Amino acid sequence: MALDKIILSARSSGLIPNTVRYLQFSPHCVLVGYHQAVELEVEEEYCREHHIEINRRITGGGNLYWDEGQLGWEIFALKDTPGIPKHLEEMYRLMCESVVAGLKRLGVTARFRPANDIEVDGRKISGTGGTEIGNAFLYQGTLLTDFDVDTMLGCLKLPIKKLEDKQVNSFKQRVVCLKEVLGCLPPMEDIKASLAQGISEVLGISLEPGMLSESEQTAYNQALPAFQSDEWIRGTRILPQENDLCAAEHKTPGGLIRVSLRLDPNRQRIKSAFISGDFFAYPERSILDLEARLKNTSSRPTDVLNNVRKFFSDYKVRIPGVSEDDFYHALYLAIEKGR
Amino acid sequence: MDINNQTVPEDLYYDKNDWWVKLDGELAIIGMTEYGQKNTGDILYLELVEPGYSIQCGEKLGSIESGKWVGNLISPLTGVIEESNYEVEKKPRQVNLDAYGKGWMYKLLLNDPGEVRLLMTAQEYAEWIAEQAKCELEMG
Repeated sequence: MALDKIILSARSSGLIPNTVRYLQFSPHCVLVGYHQAVELEVEEEYCREHHIEINRRITGGGNLYWDEGQLGWEIFALKDTPGIPKHLEEMYRLMCESVVAGLKRLGVTARFRPANDIEVDGRKISGTGGTEIGNAFLYQGTLLTDFDVDTMLGCLKLPIKKLEDKQVNSFKQRVVCLKEVLGCLPPMEDIKASLAQGISEVLGISLEPGMLSESEQTAYNQALPAFQSDEWIRGTRILPQENDLCAAEHKTPGGLIRVSLRLDPNRQRIKSAFISGDFFAYPERSILDLEARLKNTSSRPTDVLNNVRKFFSDYKVRIPGVSEDDFYHALYLAIEKGR
Repeated sequence: MDINNQTVPEDLYYDKNDWWVKLDGELAIIGMTEYGQKNTGDILYLELVEPGYSIQCGEKLGSIESGKWVGNLISPLTGVIEESNYEVEKKPRQVNLDAYGKGWMYKLLLNDPGEVRLLMTAQEYAEWIAEQAKCELEMG
Protein backbone atom coordinates (compact mmCIF):
# COMPACT_ATOMS: atom_id res chain seq x y z
CA MET A 1 0.00 0.00 0.00
CA ALA A 2 2.84 2.32 0.90
CA LEU A 3 4.52 1.68 -2.44
CA ASP A 4 1.32 2.42 -4.32
CA LYS A 5 1.25 5.86 -2.74
CA ILE A 6 4.98 6.46 -3.22
CA ILE A 7 5.04 5.43 -6.89
CA LEU A 8 1.87 7.38 -7.66
CA SER A 9 3.28 10.50 -5.96
CA ALA A 10 6.58 10.08 -7.82
CA ARG A 11 4.71 9.79 -11.13
CA SER A 12 2.64 12.86 -10.33
CA SER A 13 5.81 14.81 -9.52
CA GLY A 14 7.41 13.73 -12.80
CA LEU A 15 10.19 11.83 -11.01
CA ILE A 16 9.49 8.54 -12.80
CA PRO A 17 7.98 7.49 -16.16
CA ASN A 18 4.61 5.76 -16.58
CA THR A 19 5.02 2.45 -14.79
CA VAL A 20 3.60 -1.08 -14.71
CA ARG A 21 4.07 -2.99 -11.47
CA TYR A 22 3.20 -6.51 -10.34
CA LEU A 23 2.65 -7.50 -6.75
CA GLN A 24 2.08 -10.60 -4.65
CA PHE A 25 1.51 -10.91 -0.93
CA SER A 26 3.25 -13.13 1.57
CA PRO A 27 2.13 -13.53 4.30
CA HIS A 28 -1.40 -13.58 3.00
CA CYS A 29 -3.67 -10.68 3.82
CA VAL A 30 -7.06 -9.07 3.55
CA LEU A 31 -7.24 -5.62 2.00
CA VAL A 32 -10.23 -3.36 2.35
CA GLY A 33 -11.02 -0.51 -0.05
CA TYR A 34 -9.98 3.02 0.88
CA HIS A 35 -13.38 4.02 2.21
CA GLN A 36 -14.26 0.68 3.82
CA ALA A 37 -14.24 -0.03 7.54
CA VAL A 38 -12.33 -3.13 8.62
CA GLU A 39 -14.94 -4.14 11.21
CA LEU A 40 -17.64 -4.19 8.53
CA GLU A 41 -15.70 -6.07 5.88
CA VAL A 42 -13.35 -8.50 7.60
CA GLU A 43 -13.80 -11.56 9.83
CA GLU A 44 -11.08 -10.37 12.17
CA GLU A 45 -11.12 -13.35 14.50
CA TYR A 46 -10.68 -15.75 11.58
CA CYS A 47 -7.79 -13.61 10.31
CA ARG A 48 -6.10 -13.65 13.72
CA GLU A 49 -6.44 -17.43 14.00
CA HIS A 50 -5.02 -17.95 10.50
CA HIS A 51 -2.29 -15.28 10.72
CA ILE A 52 -3.82 -13.26 7.92
CA GLU A 53 -2.75 -9.61 7.93
CA ILE A 54 -5.19 -6.76 7.38
CA ASN A 55 -4.56 -3.48 5.61
CA ARG A 56 -6.32 -0.76 3.64
CA ARG A 57 -5.72 0.12 0.01
CA ILE A 58 -5.41 3.62 -1.37
CA THR A 59 -7.80 2.59 -4.17
CA GLY A 60 -11.56 2.13 -4.12
CA GLY A 61 -13.67 -0.99 -4.26
CA GLY A 62 -14.37 -3.88 -1.93
CA ASN A 63 -12.67 -6.28 0.43
CA LEU A 64 -10.13 -8.73 -1.06
CA TYR A 65 -8.24 -11.76 0.11
CA TRP A 66 -4.68 -12.02 -1.21
CA ASP A 67 -2.23 -14.88 -1.02
CA GLU A 68 0.53 -16.01 -3.37
CA GLY A 69 -2.18 -17.25 -5.73
CA GLN A 70 -3.14 -13.74 -6.77
CA LEU A 71 -1.04 -11.61 -9.04
CA GLY A 72 -1.66 -7.91 -8.65
CA TRP A 73 -1.15 -5.73 -11.71
CA GLU A 74 -0.88 -1.97 -11.61
CA ILE A 75 -0.60 0.79 -14.17
CA PHE A 76 0.65 4.22 -13.08
CA ALA A 77 0.37 6.97 -15.69
CA LEU A 78 -0.35 10.63 -16.24
CA LYS A 79 -4.01 11.40 -16.86
CA ASP A 80 -3.16 13.24 -20.08
CA THR A 81 -1.15 10.37 -21.54
CA PRO A 82 -2.13 10.22 -25.25
CA GLY A 83 -4.62 7.44 -25.94
CA ILE A 84 -5.90 7.13 -22.36
CA PRO A 85 -9.57 8.20 -22.20
CA LYS A 86 -10.50 10.91 -19.71
CA HIS A 87 -13.87 9.34 -18.93
CA LEU A 88 -13.47 6.77 -16.20
CA GLU A 89 -15.75 4.16 -17.77
CA GLU A 90 -13.81 4.24 -21.03
CA MET A 91 -10.52 4.23 -19.18
CA TYR A 92 -11.61 1.17 -17.16
CA ARG A 93 -12.45 -0.62 -20.39
CA LEU A 94 -9.11 0.16 -22.00
CA MET A 95 -7.08 -0.88 -18.96
CA CYS A 96 -9.02 -4.11 -18.58
CA GLU A 97 -8.78 -4.88 -22.27
CA SER A 98 -5.00 -4.61 -22.05
CA VAL A 99 -5.08 -7.37 -19.42
CA VAL A 100 -7.61 -9.34 -21.49
CA ALA A 101 -5.08 -9.22 -24.36
CA GLY A 102 -2.42 -10.55 -22.01
CA LEU A 103 -4.66 -13.39 -20.90
CA LYS A 104 -5.32 -14.27 -24.55
CA ARG A 105 -1.60 -14.86 -24.97
CA LEU A 106 -1.89 -17.46 -22.21
CA GLY A 107 -4.75 -19.15 -24.08
CA VAL A 108 -7.53 -17.68 -21.94
CA THR A 109 -10.58 -16.11 -23.57
CA ALA A 110 -11.57 -13.41 -21.12
CA ARG A 111 -13.58 -10.22 -21.50
CA PHE A 112 -14.22 -6.94 -19.76
CA ARG A 113 -17.45 -6.87 -17.74
CA PRO A 114 -18.63 -3.37 -16.81
CA ALA A 115 -18.06 -1.64 -14.57
CA ASN A 116 -14.70 -3.00 -13.40
CA ASP A 117 -14.29 -6.74 -13.81
CA ILE A 118 -12.57 -9.17 -16.15
CA GLU A 119 -14.39 -12.46 -16.48
CA VAL A 120 -14.18 -15.85 -18.16
CA ASP A 121 -17.56 -17.30 -19.13
CA GLY A 122 -19.29 -15.07 -16.59
CA ARG A 123 -16.91 -15.97 -13.76
CA LYS A 124 -14.71 -13.21 -12.35
CA ILE A 125 -10.97 -13.69 -12.79
CA SER A 126 -9.82 -10.12 -12.09
CA GLY A 127 -11.38 -7.24 -10.15
CA THR A 128 -10.01 -3.73 -10.55
CA GLY A 129 -10.04 -0.24 -9.04
CA GLY A 130 -8.11 2.99 -9.05
CA THR A 131 -7.19 6.32 -7.57
CA GLU A 132 -5.34 9.51 -8.40
CA ILE A 133 -2.89 12.00 -7.01
CA GLY A 134 -2.52 15.32 -8.82
CA ASN A 135 -2.28 14.67 -12.53
CA ALA A 136 -1.40 10.97 -12.20
CA PHE A 137 -3.56 7.89 -11.71
CA LEU A 138 -3.14 4.33 -10.51
CA TYR A 139 -5.30 1.59 -11.96
CA GLN A 140 -4.86 -1.81 -10.38
CA GLY A 141 -6.35 -5.28 -10.47
CA THR A 142 -5.99 -8.75 -9.04
CA LEU A 143 -5.55 -11.72 -11.32
CA LEU A 144 -6.61 -14.99 -9.74
CA THR A 145 -3.92 -17.46 -10.75
CA ASP A 146 -4.54 -20.15 -8.13
CA PHE A 147 -7.11 -19.58 -5.47
CA ASP A 148 -7.93 -20.77 -1.97
CA VAL A 149 -11.67 -20.09 -2.05
CA ASP A 150 -12.37 -21.53 1.40
CA THR A 151 -9.94 -19.17 3.10
CA MET A 152 -11.41 -16.27 1.16
CA LEU A 153 -14.88 -17.23 2.35
CA GLY A 154 -13.57 -17.48 5.91
CA CYS A 155 -11.88 -14.11 6.15
CA LEU A 156 -14.21 -11.80 4.22
CA LYS A 157 -17.68 -10.68 5.18
CA LEU A 158 -19.66 -11.79 2.14
CA PRO A 159 -23.38 -12.17 1.39
CA ILE A 160 -23.31 -15.93 1.99
CA LYS A 161 -23.03 -16.43 5.73
CA LYS A 162 -25.65 -18.78 7.15
CA LEU A 163 -26.29 -20.32 3.73
CA GLU A 164 -26.48 -24.02 2.99
CA ASP A 165 -23.46 -25.85 1.56
CA LYS A 166 -25.13 -26.13 -1.83
CA GLN A 167 -25.49 -22.34 -2.03
CA VAL A 168 -21.93 -21.81 -0.83
CA ASN A 169 -20.75 -24.10 -3.63
CA SER A 170 -22.80 -22.05 -6.04
CA PHE A 171 -21.13 -18.89 -4.71
CA LYS A 172 -17.71 -20.42 -5.37
CA GLN A 173 -18.68 -20.65 -9.03
CA ARG A 174 -18.74 -16.84 -9.20
CA VAL A 175 -14.95 -16.73 -9.43
CA VAL A 176 -12.41 -18.69 -11.47
CA CYS A 177 -8.61 -18.84 -11.53
CA LEU A 178 -6.06 -19.40 -14.29
CA LYS A 179 -5.21 -22.84 -12.98
CA GLU A 180 -8.82 -23.97 -13.34
CA VAL A 181 -9.23 -22.46 -16.81
CA LEU A 182 -5.96 -23.85 -18.20
CA GLY A 183 -5.84 -27.12 -16.25
CA CYS A 184 -2.41 -26.20 -14.91
CA LEU A 185 -0.71 -23.07 -13.64
CA PRO A 186 1.85 -21.50 -15.98
CA PRO A 187 5.08 -20.21 -14.38
CA MET A 188 4.48 -16.80 -12.80
CA GLU A 189 7.18 -15.23 -15.00
CA ASP A 190 5.26 -16.36 -18.11
CA ILE A 191 2.04 -14.85 -16.74
CA LYS A 192 3.77 -11.54 -16.03
CA ALA A 193 5.40 -11.51 -19.48
CA SER A 194 2.05 -12.21 -21.20
CA LEU A 195 0.28 -9.46 -19.28
CA ALA A 196 3.11 -7.03 -20.08
CA GLN A 197 2.80 -7.89 -23.78
CA GLY A 198 -0.97 -7.37 -23.68
CA ILE A 199 -0.60 -4.04 -21.90
CA SER A 200 2.06 -2.90 -24.39
CA GLU A 201 -0.05 -4.00 -27.35
CA VAL A 202 -3.32 -2.37 -26.31
CA LEU A 203 -1.84 0.83 -24.86
CA GLY A 204 0.69 1.16 -27.70
CA ILE A 205 3.68 1.44 -25.40
CA SER A 206 6.98 -0.36 -24.90
CA LEU A 207 7.95 -1.43 -21.41
CA GLU A 208 11.47 -1.55 -19.99
CA PRO A 209 12.35 -3.40 -16.77
CA GLY A 210 13.09 -1.09 -13.88
CA MET A 211 13.57 -0.95 -10.12
CA LEU A 212 12.57 1.55 -7.46
CA SER A 213 14.56 4.76 -7.74
CA GLU A 214 16.64 5.85 -4.76
CA SER A 215 14.16 8.58 -3.89
CA GLU A 216 11.23 6.12 -4.08
CA GLN A 217 13.08 3.67 -1.82
CA THR A 218 13.78 6.43 0.72
CA ALA A 219 10.20 7.67 0.64
CA TYR A 220 8.94 4.09 1.00
CA ASN A 221 11.08 3.48 4.09
CA GLN A 222 9.75 6.68 5.62
CA ALA A 223 6.10 5.96 4.78
CA LEU A 224 6.01 2.31 5.84
CA PRO A 225 5.32 2.81 9.59
CA ALA A 226 2.31 5.01 8.82
CA PHE A 227 0.85 2.38 6.50
CA GLN A 228 1.34 -0.29 9.17
CA SER A 229 -0.41 1.78 11.83
CA ASP A 230 -3.95 1.31 13.12
CA GLU A 231 -4.53 4.95 12.29
CA TRP A 232 -4.19 4.08 8.59
CA ILE A 233 -5.76 0.63 8.62
CA ARG A 234 -8.79 1.70 10.64
CA GLY A 235 -8.67 5.35 9.71
CA THR A 236 -11.82 5.53 7.67
CA ARG A 237 -14.72 7.44 9.19
CA ILE A 238 -17.48 5.32 7.72
CA LEU A 239 -20.32 4.83 10.16
CA PRO A 240 -20.69 1.35 11.64
CA GLN A 241 -23.76 -0.69 10.78
CA GLU A 242 -25.17 -3.73 12.44
CA ASN A 243 -26.37 -6.83 10.70
CA ASP A 244 -26.07 -5.59 7.15
CA LEU A 245 -26.67 -9.07 5.69
CA CYS A 246 -30.23 -9.72 4.55
CA ALA A 247 -31.66 -12.80 2.90
CA ALA A 248 -35.07 -13.60 1.42
CA GLU A 249 -36.82 -16.23 -0.67
CA HIS A 250 -39.59 -15.87 -3.22
CA LYS A 251 -41.50 -18.79 -4.70
CA THR A 252 -42.45 -18.59 -8.38
CA PRO A 253 -43.98 -21.08 -10.88
CA GLY A 254 -40.48 -21.58 -12.34
CA GLY A 255 -38.79 -22.27 -9.01
CA LEU A 256 -37.59 -20.70 -5.81
CA ILE A 257 -35.46 -17.52 -5.93
CA ARG A 258 -33.06 -17.07 -3.01
CA VAL A 259 -31.48 -13.66 -2.54
CA SER A 260 -28.75 -12.71 -0.10
CA LEU A 261 -27.67 -9.07 0.03
CA ARG A 262 -25.12 -6.99 1.89
CA LEU A 263 -26.69 -3.61 2.38
CA ASP A 264 -25.44 -0.19 3.37
CA PRO A 265 -28.60 1.30 4.90
CA ASN A 266 -27.07 4.73 5.49
CA ARG A 267 -26.21 5.14 1.86
CA GLN A 268 -29.20 3.12 0.62
CA ARG A 269 -26.88 0.84 -1.33
CA ILE A 270 -26.64 -2.82 -2.25
CA LYS A 271 -23.00 -3.54 -1.47
CA SER A 272 -23.11 -7.03 -2.99
CA ALA A 273 -25.68 -9.58 -4.06
CA PHE A 274 -25.87 -13.35 -4.29
CA ILE A 275 -28.79 -14.91 -6.13
CA SER A 276 -29.50 -18.61 -6.42
CA GLY A 277 -32.41 -20.99 -6.76
CA ASP A 278 -33.74 -23.95 -8.68
CA PHE A 279 -34.88 -22.07 -11.80
CA PHE A 280 -33.24 -22.31 -15.23
CA ALA A 281 -31.83 -19.11 -16.71
CA TYR A 282 -30.93 -18.56 -20.36
CA PRO A 283 -28.25 -17.53 -20.99
CA GLU A 284 -26.92 -19.49 -18.03
CA ARG A 285 -24.52 -16.74 -16.96
CA SER A 286 -27.23 -14.10 -16.74
CA ILE A 287 -27.66 -14.45 -12.96
CA LEU A 288 -23.93 -13.79 -12.47
CA ASP A 289 -24.26 -10.73 -14.68
CA LEU A 290 -27.32 -9.57 -12.74
CA GLU A 291 -25.34 -9.82 -9.49
CA ALA A 292 -22.56 -7.74 -11.07
CA ARG A 293 -25.15 -5.21 -12.28
CA LEU A 294 -26.64 -4.85 -8.78
CA LYS A 295 -23.32 -4.40 -6.96
CA ASN A 296 -22.92 -0.91 -5.44
CA THR A 297 -26.24 0.31 -6.80
CA SER A 298 -29.13 2.04 -5.07
CA SER A 299 -31.33 -0.10 -2.81
CA ARG A 300 -34.34 2.19 -3.24
CA PRO A 301 -37.21 0.01 -4.51
CA THR A 302 -37.90 2.13 -7.60
CA ASP A 303 -34.22 2.12 -8.56
CA VAL A 304 -33.96 -1.65 -8.01
CA LEU A 305 -37.05 -2.23 -10.14
CA ASN A 306 -35.69 -0.07 -12.97
CA ASN A 307 -32.29 -1.71 -12.72
CA VAL A 308 -33.72 -5.25 -12.89
CA ARG A 309 -36.09 -4.42 -15.75
CA LYS A 310 -33.32 -2.74 -17.73
CA PHE A 311 -31.04 -5.72 -17.14
CA PHE A 312 -33.64 -8.18 -18.43
CA SER A 313 -34.26 -5.97 -21.44
CA ASP A 314 -30.57 -5.40 -22.25
CA TYR A 315 -29.54 -9.03 -21.84
CA LYS A 316 -32.68 -10.64 -23.31
CA VAL A 317 -32.84 -12.99 -20.33
CA ARG A 318 -35.34 -15.86 -20.41
CA ILE A 319 -36.24 -17.83 -17.29
CA PRO A 320 -39.25 -20.14 -17.75
CA GLY A 321 -41.86 -19.47 -15.07
CA VAL A 322 -39.91 -16.57 -13.53
CA SER A 323 -40.45 -12.94 -14.49
CA GLU A 324 -38.22 -9.93 -14.00
CA ASP A 325 -40.69 -8.68 -11.42
CA ASP A 326 -40.21 -11.92 -9.45
CA PHE A 327 -36.52 -11.06 -9.14
CA TYR A 328 -37.42 -7.55 -8.09
CA HIS A 329 -39.82 -8.95 -5.49
CA ALA A 330 -37.17 -11.27 -4.02
CA LEU A 331 -34.70 -8.37 -3.86
CA TYR A 332 -37.36 -6.11 -2.35
CA LEU A 333 -38.08 -8.65 0.41
CA ALA A 334 -34.39 -8.83 1.31
CA ILE A 335 -34.05 -5.04 1.28
CA GLU A 336 -37.13 -4.66 3.51
CA LYS A 337 -35.52 -6.96 6.08
CA GLY A 338 -32.58 -4.55 6.24
CA ARG A 339 -34.73 -1.55 7.12
CA MET B 1 -28.76 28.38 -17.96
CA ASP B 2 -28.57 24.91 -19.49
CA ILE B 3 -25.66 23.62 -21.54
CA ASN B 4 -25.44 20.07 -22.94
CA ASN B 5 -28.34 19.08 -20.67
CA GLN B 6 -26.46 20.39 -17.62
CA THR B 7 -27.89 23.05 -15.34
CA VAL B 8 -25.48 25.92 -14.65
CA PRO B 9 -27.10 28.40 -12.22
CA GLU B 10 -26.16 31.95 -13.10
CA ASP B 11 -25.69 33.24 -9.54
CA LEU B 12 -22.77 30.90 -8.77
CA TYR B 13 -19.03 30.78 -9.50
CA TYR B 14 -17.25 27.67 -10.83
CA ASP B 15 -13.85 26.06 -11.20
CA LYS B 16 -12.35 23.41 -13.48
CA ASN B 17 -12.57 20.73 -10.78
CA ASP B 18 -16.35 21.11 -11.13
CA TRP B 19 -17.03 22.97 -7.90
CA TRP B 20 -19.80 25.51 -7.64
CA VAL B 21 -19.32 28.37 -5.21
CA LYS B 22 -22.04 30.53 -3.72
CA LEU B 23 -20.75 33.68 -2.11
CA ASP B 24 -22.40 35.06 1.03
CA GLY B 25 -20.21 37.87 2.36
CA GLU B 26 -16.99 36.29 3.62
CA LEU B 27 -18.59 32.85 3.54
CA ALA B 28 -18.55 30.55 0.51
CA ILE B 29 -20.87 27.56 0.23
CA ILE B 30 -19.37 24.99 -2.12
CA GLY B 31 -20.41 21.73 -3.77
CA MET B 32 -20.01 19.65 -6.89
CA THR B 33 -21.71 20.83 -10.08
CA GLU B 34 -24.31 18.82 -11.95
CA TYR B 35 -21.78 18.34 -14.75
CA GLY B 36 -19.22 17.10 -12.21
CA GLN B 37 -21.56 14.64 -10.51
CA LYS B 38 -22.71 13.24 -13.85
CA ASN B 39 -19.10 12.66 -14.92
CA THR B 40 -18.30 11.12 -11.54
CA GLY B 41 -21.29 8.77 -11.61
CA ASP B 42 -23.04 7.24 -8.62
CA ILE B 43 -21.13 8.47 -5.57
CA LEU B 44 -20.60 5.69 -3.02
CA TYR B 45 -18.47 7.41 -0.42
CA LEU B 46 -17.51 10.92 0.56
CA GLU B 47 -15.02 11.75 3.27
CA LEU B 48 -15.04 15.42 4.26
CA VAL B 49 -12.51 17.31 6.37
CA GLU B 50 -13.62 18.69 9.71
CA PRO B 51 -14.66 22.26 10.59
CA GLY B 52 -11.73 24.40 11.68
CA TYR B 53 -9.46 22.98 9.00
CA SER B 54 -7.43 25.63 7.15
CA ILE B 55 -7.25 25.05 3.45
CA GLN B 56 -5.33 26.63 0.59
CA CYS B 57 -6.74 26.82 -2.91
CA GLY B 58 -5.58 23.66 -4.75
CA GLU B 59 -5.14 21.53 -1.60
CA LYS B 60 -6.98 18.29 -0.83
CA LEU B 61 -10.36 18.88 0.77
CA GLY B 62 -11.52 15.29 1.21
CA SER B 63 -12.05 12.21 -0.92
CA ILE B 64 -14.79 10.79 -3.08
CA GLU B 65 -15.42 7.27 -4.41
CA SER B 66 -17.50 6.09 -7.32
CA GLY B 67 -17.18 2.93 -9.39
CA LYS B 68 -14.16 1.75 -7.35
CA TRP B 69 -12.31 4.99 -8.14
CA VAL B 70 -11.05 7.13 -5.27
CA GLY B 71 -10.61 10.75 -6.25
CA ASN B 72 -9.51 13.81 -4.31
CA LEU B 73 -11.65 16.86 -3.68
CA ILE B 74 -9.44 19.86 -4.42
CA SER B 75 -10.31 23.17 -2.79
CA PRO B 76 -11.34 25.97 -5.17
CA LEU B 77 -10.56 28.68 -2.59
CA THR B 78 -8.45 29.55 0.47
CA GLY B 79 -9.94 29.79 3.95
CA VAL B 80 -11.12 27.89 7.01
CA ILE B 81 -13.85 25.25 7.01
CA GLU B 82 -16.78 26.71 8.90
CA GLU B 83 -19.14 23.78 8.40
CA SER B 84 -18.93 20.33 6.76
CA ASN B 85 -22.16 18.80 5.51
CA TYR B 86 -22.11 15.50 7.36
CA GLU B 87 -25.57 14.68 6.03
CA VAL B 88 -24.11 14.42 2.56
CA GLU B 89 -21.21 12.37 3.92
CA LYS B 90 -23.78 9.90 5.31
CA LYS B 91 -25.84 10.00 2.12
CA PRO B 92 -23.49 10.90 -0.73
CA ARG B 93 -26.24 10.16 -3.22
CA GLN B 94 -27.58 13.62 -2.35
CA VAL B 95 -24.81 15.01 -4.55
CA ASN B 96 -26.19 13.01 -7.48
CA LEU B 97 -29.80 13.89 -6.68
CA ASP B 98 -29.54 17.55 -5.68
CA ALA B 99 -26.10 18.91 -6.57
CA TYR B 100 -26.93 22.58 -5.99
CA GLY B 101 -29.17 22.02 -2.96
CA LYS B 102 -28.88 19.31 -0.32
CA GLY B 103 -25.66 18.12 -2.01
CA TRP B 104 -23.59 21.08 -0.78
CA MET B 105 -20.38 20.00 0.95
CA TYR B 106 -18.74 22.87 2.82
CA LYS B 107 -19.19 26.35 4.17
CA LEU B 108 -15.81 28.04 3.92
CA LEU B 109 -14.79 31.27 5.69
CA LEU B 110 -12.68 32.93 3.02
CA ASN B 111 -9.33 34.59 3.72
CA ASP B 112 -10.04 36.94 0.82
CA PRO B 113 -13.55 37.07 -0.71
CA GLY B 114 -11.95 38.75 -3.74
CA GLU B 115 -10.39 35.37 -4.60
CA VAL B 116 -13.67 34.35 -6.27
CA ARG B 117 -12.78 36.70 -9.12
CA LEU B 118 -10.29 34.03 -10.20
CA LEU B 119 -13.14 31.54 -10.64
CA MET B 120 -15.36 31.19 -13.71
CA THR B 121 -18.74 32.83 -14.13
CA ALA B 122 -21.72 30.70 -15.19
CA GLN B 123 -21.19 31.81 -18.79
CA GLU B 124 -17.49 30.92 -18.70
CA TYR B 125 -18.19 27.55 -17.07
CA ALA B 126 -20.87 26.74 -19.66
CA GLU B 127 -18.36 27.53 -22.42
CA TRP B 128 -15.79 25.35 -20.68
CA ILE B 129 -18.27 22.43 -20.50
CA ALA B 130 -18.98 22.83 -24.22
CA GLU B 131 -15.24 22.84 -24.92
CA GLN B 132 -14.80 19.63 -22.90
CA ALA B 133 -17.62 17.96 -24.82
CA LYS B 134 -15.98 19.01 -28.11
CA CYS B 135 -12.59 17.60 -27.02
CA GLU B 136 -14.22 14.30 -26.04
CA LEU B 137 -15.94 14.07 -29.43
CA GLU B 138 -12.67 14.74 -31.24
CA MET B 139 -10.94 12.01 -29.20
CA GLY B 140 -13.69 9.60 -30.23
